[in-house]
Amino acid sequence: MARYGMALDYKNCINCKACEVACKEENGVLLGADKHRIWVGVKEIEGEYPLLDIVSSTFMPSQCQHCDDAPCEMVCPTHATYYDDNNVVRVDVDKCILCSYCMNACPYDARYVDDRTMTVDKCTFCSDTRLERGEVTTACQNTCPTKVRTFGDLDDPDSEISELLRTREHFSLKANLGTKPKLFYLT
Amino acid sequence: MQVEVSRRKFLQGSVAMSIVGGSSIGVTNLLASHNEKESKTSITTKTGTGEAKEIATLCEMCVNKCAALARVEDGIVTKLNPNPRFPKSKNMLCPRGNAGIQALYDPDRLKHPMIRVGKKGEGEFKKVSWEEAYEAILNGTDKFTGMNKILDEEKDNRSSFLFCAGEGMAEHTFKQFYSAFGSANWLNHASLCLQTVISGYGVTLGGYPQADLDNAEYVIMAGANRAEAIVTPDTMDIFKRTKRRGAKLICIDPRFTNTAAKADKWLAINPGTDLAFVLALTYVVITEELYDKKYVEENVAGFDKYKVNILDNKYTPEWAEKITNIKAKEIYKIAREFMAHAPKAVYYPGRRSTFSNNDFQLRRAMAIFQGISGGVDTKGGLVFGKKLKLSPHASLVPLYDRAQARAVNKVERTKGQVGYSDCAVVSGGGSWVGWRNRYLENKMPYNVRGMFIYKHNPMMNMPNTQKTAQMLEKMELVVAIDTMPSDTVMYADVVLPECTYLERTDPVKTFGGVEPSIAQRNKVLDPMFETKPVMEILRGLTEKISKPIFDITKKYDEEVQSEIKDSSEEEVYAEFDLTKPFEHSQEEVNEHMVKGLYGEEAVEALKKHGVFYPDMDKYFKQVSANEHQYYPQKKKYYSVNGGKAKTESKKVECYLPNLAKKCVDPMPMWHDEYNFNVPNGKFRLLTGRHAQFTQSGTSNNAVLRDLMPENYLWINRRVAEKKHIKFGDMIEISSSVGKTRIKAYPTEKIAPNQLFFVHGFGEESESLTWAYKNGGNDNAVIEDIIEPVYGASSMHETNVEIRKV
Ligand code: SF4
Ligand code: SF4
Ligand code: SF4
Repeated sequence: MARYGMALDYKNCINCKACEVACKEENGVLLGADKHRIWVGVKEIEGEYPLLDIVSSTFMPSQCQHCDDAPCEMVCPTHATYYDDNNVVRVDVDKCILCSYCMNACPYDARYVDDRTMTVDKCTFCSDTRLERGEVTTACQNTCPTKVRTFGDLDDPDSEISELLRTREHFSLKANLGTKPKLFYLT
Repeated sequence: MQVEVSRRKFLQGSVAMSIVGGSSIGVTNLLASHNEKESKTSITTKTGTGEAKEIATLCEMCVNKCAALARVEDGIVTKLNPNPRFPKSKNMLCPRGNAGIQALYDPDRLKHPMIRVGKKGEGEFKKVSWEEAYEAILNGTDKFTGMNKILDEEKDNRSSFLFCAGEGMAEHTFKQFYSAFGSANWLNHASLCLQTVISGYGVTLGGYPQADLDNAEYVIMAGANRAEAIVTPDTMDIFKRTKRRGAKLICIDPRFTNTAAKADKWLAINPGTDLAFVLALTYVVITEELYDKKYVEENVAGFDKYKVNILDNKYTPEWAEKITNIKAKEIYKIAREFMAHAPKAVYYPGRRSTFSNNDFQLRRAMAIFQGISGGVDTKGGLVFGKKLKLSPHASLVPLYDRAQARAVNKVERTKGQVGYSDCAVVSGGGSWVGWRNRYLENKMPYNVRGMFIYKHNPMMNMPNTQKTAQMLEKMELVVAIDTMPSDTVMYADVVLPECTYLERTDPVKTFGGVEPSIAQRNKVLDPMFETKPVMEILRGLTEKISKPIFDITKKYDEEVQSEIKDSSEEEVYAEFDLTKPFEHSQEEVNEHMVKGLYGEEAVEALKKHGVFYPDMDKYFKQVSANEHQYYPQKKKYYSVNGGKAKTESKKVECYLPNLAKKCVDPMPMWHDEYNFNVPNGKFRLLTGRHAQFTQSGTSNNAVLRDLMPENYLWINRRVAEKKHIKFGDMIEISSSVGKTRIKAYPTEKIAPNQLFFVHGFGEESESLTWAYKNGGNDNAVIEDIIEPVYGASSMHETNVEIRKV
């Protein structure tokens, strides 16, 4: 019983995509650019050579936000999308009928279709692989060269993530939508 | 943005606003794969929750050798995880490291020995047994000549065989074969890679230093791209500290790289003009007396001469601005800031191939600039660190009287003469292009007729691919040891399949640094198919050839003949027994190399953890989820030489009279021929790296291709617009040596008169399912220009034309 979340020191990200590969290898995710549980947001640079705007080229590592008020969960007609015991947003492949309501509802575009099961898939916080084995880091956190991610229990005041969120300024994506993401970007 | 991006294109638009005040963020990599068919099948395996073994290995997807833990379930490697115990790689695996599984399970792997049955270069082979392959090497077939015949005809001149190898932990094993065989012709990757930087720092500071990016407060990274060309631990150390978090990073690069994106300042420099930039920095610190005077007095040799050189030649920032395109006021500012932070300031040495003809002098100038700041062998500056000793193991270096000296060698030989080197110094690794070109010009002092290639892809790795093909065609016997059917393997007569790094134990290796350690690559799985580790391949090969070719020595070598008379054939043969270096298993050799010095404990630690250093048990601990302690602060080796250089004089060497004797500038100077210029209508071609592929070695990796299916041509957006070139349009690039085709990526990250694409794509081997004709091959168009000091290939000296096709 935990309330898992993740803090991202996103300024560290060098867009190497180790996290993408680690996630695919750990969780047996399909190949293909549109089959990612995790990705890095990039944007074409602004300005004209050589007067380019460095800050316009920020890399934004992202994945399912595991919202506390998840729109995907609310719209799912079969309750295939649910909160597990650790408050992780999960999809039950046996219940998913691929109506794709959740994919449209997700403001973060975190969901894609797994063509093998023809169900919706997305980041699980490695729940059925690493967490189930009792490991305490996710594959993406573990492999990252610049250690962008810190994963942990938000309900545990002594956890590293709680400490980070207490001591460092942070923001969440599209906070105005009231989805209450459990991914926090450290500034 | 006109380029097609994935469904996540406009995601986070509003978020981007709130973070950076920018417009929409295209979220997925715009160069990633969109192939419908491919996305249906997956070759990744989900890890299980049942029983699993974890074996400590070292990654071989690039040269860094990061420590990994291979998870093995039911005899299958399901995941490669970072091994936190290794101070060099600090608990990380990059995308390639993660994708190592695909190297193991690549369906295109070389699976069994093969001999050529078709025309050379066409890749038509017959599957044979190991014995048949060895036999073919010794005695040839109806298609190619055997070693016996060549050595006999060349009267036991062992140098009639060329040996070449790529970088790797087992390169040493292969080199032992070369030494025992007795050839003088050895070529490795150095002259295609970091020869000039290693040597430039070597002669100036007495060693190639590391940069303490964990503690430096000010870092100039010029022509080094650590966000994309990953070097451990540098990549992990620096990017946690840029952007006002402890270290100011100045990135100097003609392109806006990912490193530029993570830097505090990026300055676009004209290609090949970094030397002028450093000379001008030096000018500022000398005229403004900002350098560390005490340090210079005690620890820098030839400074007065260098000072006169800098001042008399008026290497002012204003002078440099015209050459480099970097504003004089920026140069003043950087020089002042650097010295204000010194000795916790680093002019990053870099670790890359030679870009321009002045590269050696550039490295000297950088080293001297660092030297006069006092930031040598000190925390936050450049550091030598400590290296843990290993016991040497026996090698065999017989003397063959008939073996001739290195074919392309002597400095005195003037251009056009037999064996001329075209450069001032020929290092141990040789000048690859120099050697190849002399060979094709028939300027060899004797016949070289056969070659052994280990884990090396000359067809892809050096400029002017066509010439390399001609060379391989001309060789009468080409033996290739490799894991993949590369373009070079296609030219082989005999192919010996090596197993991948996950299927073998390699020589134990010591990694020097501030936190030194010893690491070992342990075998994760038994070799698949009929593959073997190079150690075993050479054991089998030498068992086959050692006696027969000794008979040739006996026939021609008078020294050997008289020795036999004096003692016995058996005794003499013992010195020539090529099987000797390979008689023990790698595991036994490794044990021998550590046990005497560090005891049984080290042997066990290396097997279990893959890593060992004295007091590891005491020192190593996890500090947080992402951090580990390897050594306590006080035990780190920041300073090992009293803050001095490691040269013989213990001083930073500004002026080297020995160089002058070889017609090389004794100290760094600028010459007009170094100026950057591109004729109208042409472009300067730049090449480089990125984080998802390692040269051509990973080009067939399906998971990496998923991140970037092919390389793209960076062309300035405004230039592209004028030429009606859009994203994805096919472009033909041509130079005086050849052509290649590649898709366009218009961007403002590159100058209007320059083009760039990543190296390692565009292979021609049809046996590579994914890499075949995929993207453009830079070396098909890069001209074979070598720099004058070490004969290293200058990669950024070629102007090209483009045409939309
Ligand atoms: S592994 Fe880390 S640095 Fe690399 S892309 Fe992912 S978050 Fe960014
Ligand atoms: S937490 Fe696990 S499932 Fe989620 S993105 Fe990271 S590696 Fe993938
Ligand atoms: S940097 Fe990447 S490819 Fe290179 S050794 Fe490390 S994990 Fe492997």
